Amino acid sequence: MSGVPLAAYLALGLFMFMTGVVGVVIRRSPIVIFMCIELMLNAVNLTFLAFARYQFSPMVAGNSFKEGQSAMAGQMMVIFVMAVAAAEVAVGLGIIMAIFRLRDNIDIDEMNLLKG
Amino acid sequence: MNVPLSALIWFPAIGALLLQLLGFVKKEKDIKSIAVLFTTVALGLNLAVLSKSNSGTYLFQAVESVSWIENLGIRYLVGYDGISFWLTVLTTLMTLIIVVATPDTTKNLRGFFGLVLLLETAMLGSFCALDLVLFFSFFELTLIPMFFLVSLWGGPNRNKAAAKFVVYTFAGSIFMLVGIVALAIQHQKVTGQLDFSIINIQTSVASGKFWANALQAQTFIFWALALGFMVKTPAFPFHSWIGDTYAESPTAGPILSSVMVKMGSYGFLRFCLPLFPEAVQSQAPVFMAIATIGILYGALVAIAQTDMRRMIAYSSLSHMGFVLLGIFSLSYKGMIGGSFQQFSHGITTGLLVILVGYLVEKHGTADMNAFGGLKAKMPLFAGLFLLGMLGSVGLPTTNGFIGEFLALMGAYETGARGLFGLSPGFAIASGLGVVLGAVYLFVMFQKVFYGPVKVTEGPDWQDIPVSKALPAFVLVFFVFVGGLYPNLFFGPMEASTQATRLMAISEATKRPSWKDKPEEVTIRVALEDPMQGQYIRAGSERLISSARLHGNVDEKREIR
Amino acid sequence: MDNNAVWLIILLPVLGFLIQGLAGPSLQKRIGKKALGVLAVLPIAASFVLGLMLTQGLASQEHAEAVIVTGGSWINIMGLNIPFEWVVDPLSMTMVLIITGVGALIHLYSTAYMAEDKDFSRFFAYLNLFVAAMLVLVLGNNLPLLFIGWEGVGLCSYLLIGFWYTDTTNTKAANKAFIVNRVGDWSLMLGLFLIVVVISGANIPVEDNRYLSYDAMLPALTTALKANPAMATAIALLLFGGAAGKSAQFPLYVWLPDAMAGPTPVSALIHAATMVTSGVVLLNRMNIVFQLSPTASAIVCAVGAFTALFAAIIAFGQTDIKKVLAYSTVSQLGFMFIACGAGAYWAGMFHVTTHAFFKALLFLGAGAVIHAMSHEQDMRHYGKLAKYLPITFATMMIGTLAIAGVPGLSGYYSKEAILGSAIANSHAGQLSAISGWVGLGVAALTAMYMGRLAMLTFFGKEERWRKLPVADHHDHEDGHDDDHSHALTGDHKPKEVPVAMWLPLVVLALLSAGAGFILNQGKRFEHWLYPSGLSQLGELKHEVPNLEIYSYIAAGLGLFAGVLVYIGGLPAKEGLDETKWARWRRSAANQFGFDALLTNLFAEGGRDVAIGTSAFLEDQVIDGAVEGSASGTRNFGGWLQQIQTGAVRLYAMLMLLGGVGFVGYFLFVVNRGGK
Repeated sequence: MSGVPLAAYLALGLFMFMTGVVGVVIRRSPIVIFMCIELMLNAVNLTFLAFARYQFSPMVAGNSFKEGQSAMAGQMMVIFVMAVAAAEVAVGLGIIMAIFRLRDNIDIDEMNLLKG
Repeated sequence: MNVPLSALIWFPAIGALLLQLLGFVKKEKDIKSIAVLFTTVALGLNLAVLSKSNSGTYLFQAVESVSWIENLGIRYLVGYDGISFWLTVLTTLMTLIIVVATPDTTKNLRGFFGLVLLLETAMLGSFCALDLVLFFSFFELTLIPMFFLVSLWGGPNRNKAAAKFVVYTFAGSIFMLVGIVALAIQHQKVTGQLDFSIINIQTSVASGKFWANALQAQTFIFWALALGFMVKTPAFPFHSWIGDTYAESPTAGPILSSVMVKMGSYGFLRFCLPLFPEAVQSQAPVFMAIATIGILYGALVAIAQTDMRRMIAYSSLSHMGFVLLGIFSLSYKGMIGGSFQQFSHGITTGLLVILVGYLVEKHGTADMNAFGGLKAKMPLFAGLFLLGMLGSVGLPTTNGFIGEFLALMGAYETGARGLFGLSPGFAIASGLGVVLGAVYLFVMFQKVFYGPVKVTEGPDWQDIPVSKALPAFVLVFFVFVGGLYPNLFFGPMEASTQATRLMAISEATKRPSWKDKPEEVTIRVALEDPMQGQYIRAGSERLISSARLHGNVDEKREIR
Repeated sequence: MDNNAVWLIILLPVLGFLIQGLAGPSLQKRIGKKALGVLAVLPIAASFVLGLMLTQGLASQEHAEAVIVTGGSWINIMGLNIPFEWVVDPLSMTMVLIITGVGALIHLYSTAYMAEDKDFSRFFAYLNLFVAAMLVLVLGNNLPLLFIGWEGVGLCSYLLIGFWYTDTTNTKAANKAFIVNRVGDWSLMLGLFLIVVVISGANIPVEDNRYLSYDAMLPALTTALKANPAMATAIALLLFGGAAGKSAQFPLYVWLPDAMAGPTPVSALIHAATMVTSGVVLLNRMNIVFQLSPTASAIVCAVGAFTALFAAIIAFGQTDIKKVLAYSTVSQLGFMFIACGAGAYWAGMFHVTTHAFFKALLFLGAGAVIHAMSHEQDMRHYGKLAKYLPITFATMMIGTLAIAGVPGLSGYYSKEAILGSAIANSHAGQLSAISGWVGLGVAALTAMYMGRLAMLTFFGKEERWRKLPVADHHDHEDGHDDDHSHALTGDHKPKEVPVAMWLPLVVLALLSAGAGFILNQGKRFEHWLYPSGLSQLGELKHEVPNLEIYSYIAAGLGLFAGVLVYIGGLPAKEGLDETKWARWRRSAANQFGFDALLTNLFAEGGRDVAIGTSAFLEDQVIDGAVEGSASGTRNFGGWLQQIQTGAVRLYAMLMLLGGVGFVGYFLFVVNRGGK
């Protein structure tokens, strides 16, 4: 483990996040957009985990920063993000299904009801 | 009977709630009876509270103080004094009048009266609140019922009128809120304590410490508060909501509005004068100019109106100008005249609006060109209208005269002496407003009541039935009580008005404060006015040399 | 006699007003018009009797001393006390006797004159209220009480001018009267304020703070004004402004001719005998201020003289019998102001008294003629009426001779007193003498236009209404609503008026003939009003050598000229066809365009300004700013709205850019390390 530097994790996270961002912006299929969002979330998760491993959270109570004594804040955040992502997907897919039933079409550019 | 002030303030709100809960009362007539009952009780409570008042003091009476938001120094602090005395009476009286004058046929009577009662609580609260935040809360609370009254029961353009009224007044109050917060923070700077109670703030102001190093800030905070009050009063040029509001409201609207505008002028008396003495003195010419312009401008625009309600609206602008003129003359006569004018404007405007409302109810329009020769068909109605009009033009022996006369006299006096940088020109120009007042009202009266009968078809042309004219009779009664025996109204006002004036014009440390000890109170008020009048024995007969009537200084003998 | 009776003097007409106003219509049904008329006359007559008794008590004293009767307090605040108090002194009692005496006669006359009117009780309600207000005006012991009466009579005048309200001309005239008077009231009110300011500014203590009560204020005011003569002029001019409004002096006279739209008894009582003289009463009351200001007195003189001349000339251009009398009133009021300006305040009051008699007589006589002639007021349709209306003719001739200044009749003495003191005294400087001589000329003009009126009405060669078309059968008995319903026709037969109408004429004729002589005996009237002379000017001079002779000549010449020109009936140059009139007469008929000028300038111009203000300043600028800020916000929102395309990918893109910008900015700040 110690062979892989923190920068590598962060670089991977950055790559994944950028991929997700670009995907959200350029793709027209909501399913793909969802996948890209998941990609971004996972990039963030990866960063969280990397930091949690390599750097002790300053939020930890007490005054010793010994290894293994962190309050697992990063990891907790990851679990939380995954839960939110799951919920989001459930709602999002539900909306997409509803729109598909209504319109027989799920092209994102056709969905412009939000315009003022 | 000892009635706490809060009982008076909250009773109408409770009544409003009860009215909604009493679902089994279905008939319009019964709902109206219940509303009449509630408002009558409110008036009774008001009189019960005031019957205990002591007219010799300017300290607040019936004060109640309950902690509200302790951390911020905000309290539920209410009380009344001579300045709010007649305004509370005006509120409860006019609310009763409104409820009686509202026809049974109004749709959703239950909701209508609920809002009116809620408004009564808000207005009473504003006139009695002694904590700035509490005052602001009540002040803003008036907007909500008024909004719905206009937008649900109003004329064709009601939505716009309602929105205009609320947004405009609210825009003014935002400045006021900023001012209030700044005031409390200034208090914290001076004494180390955040406090919104005007009693505490004013005591600090009276000692001269409060503004010692913040004269610049004083002017800014003064203007912040004054802006809010100017919109409400309304003072030129912040008046343009009043025309739409009067013209589009149901009949109750202008009457309520004519009470509500007093919250503006009252705000000047209650907050601006005692709390910002230096600013008031330096800005007095500005406000006198605003008042004078308002008087003339309101009258001038009223002349051009063809809608009677719109005309009354602009006449309100003119009449409220006299209130401001009196207050900012900073003379005792002017201030007491201005305060009196508040009351009489409420009465006469209410009277005219009720009568115009009757025409609107019958014929659906208030356009004066649509009518003509009404006097022949409706003599009683014409008579009542004439009396209301005379009160409005300020004919001597009506209440309108007393207020205008004293306000003008006070403005003239301070102007002629050149105090506070004022000039008699304000009073001289404002006097023209009295002439113009006759123009628009008499021309309107001529168009509507004189000449050949114009409209022959349409609904019945019967005279107003006495039962419907009852509220008008009551108001006519007050028009002449105010005009013939104004001392009744001056009595409770005098000490507070004089104290408020001294708070504004005395030099620091010599100002009276609301925390003076009761035994100092009478001395202070009397001391400042060596010319305090004494009553002459009524029914006395004195023989004097007739040369004295030709300017000879001569001995006077008294027989009997 | 208990002086508290003064309360009754005022309250009786008020009672009459309440009876007529509240119970009138129902009483009329129950007891009839005649009895209701009696109920209207009685309170005034009773007040007159009470007034007589009080006057007797006052006159029986060695030195006429004034009594002040105090009631409750009206306005009493710190630093100002205005009680309800009445003053019983020669000035107030003189006016009380005129008001109630002439008033009772005119009430009696009206019971017959208005007998056919459906609003009988309303008329008497107003008339009684007028008497009450007028009594308050003269009896009040302070200026605010005077002001109550002042505006009260203005209101009654308004109501009575517009009495026949279905005719828009009448109601417009009523509005004009009220509004023009308000301009004067504005000035009066400012004068009143200035008095308070001057006294309290000089730190002179006033007992009981009665700053505006005559007995307390006048001595203090004298002291204060002696130190400050400029203020005396200011106060005097402001008070005169009020007087000029009520007493129809140039340029505020314009309402009075129009006021003739009211019923004729109203013109007699309000617009000739009493209300219009209240300005003179005010100047008498406040004479000390005018004594202290020669400048203001000179202005009063000049305005009086100009008004007298101006109105007398206009009278020649009038064909309406009431209009002639109206301008004659304006002109005579000018005489009274000449007297007041010259310092002969008593002479002003003397003329008020005699004028009340003969002008009321002339108006009532004119009313009788109008009544007999089917409410036709144009003198060009009269002629040879002496035959039909003997009593009216005889009494009116006495009135005509009295106003013309024929020696022995009342008008001669008062006019003589005015002209004599104006010429002989120098209080108002040169202007006073000039005014006196102008007055003499106007006296000649007066005699001439009154001669014209008398000749056109009662004499001549033909009965000119015979030339009018003969109407179809017209039933005179049907209940007509207003008096314009039947016009004068060629077959009309004038009938002498009923006794209730000619009796007041006879009484007034006797007074017009004798009152001047009696009151002038041994300077009786002057000593009654001003027993110890004027406090500042002292005794006044009256004597002007040969003035009587000039006056005889003026009156004789005027009457002679009037008779000479009009003996042959209506001259062709003044006939129905106004295009044949002489140019000066045509412009005199239009008041030399003065009324039209004022109307254009203030009424029309004012309305245009008001409408312009309302349409432009209010709707466009002030409300426009409010509406503009609202619509501005809306437009800005609408503009921003265009960004909301609804394209989700664009939103995401913008969000991304925003996020990057945001994070970038903070990284930038952090990198600088707060440097």
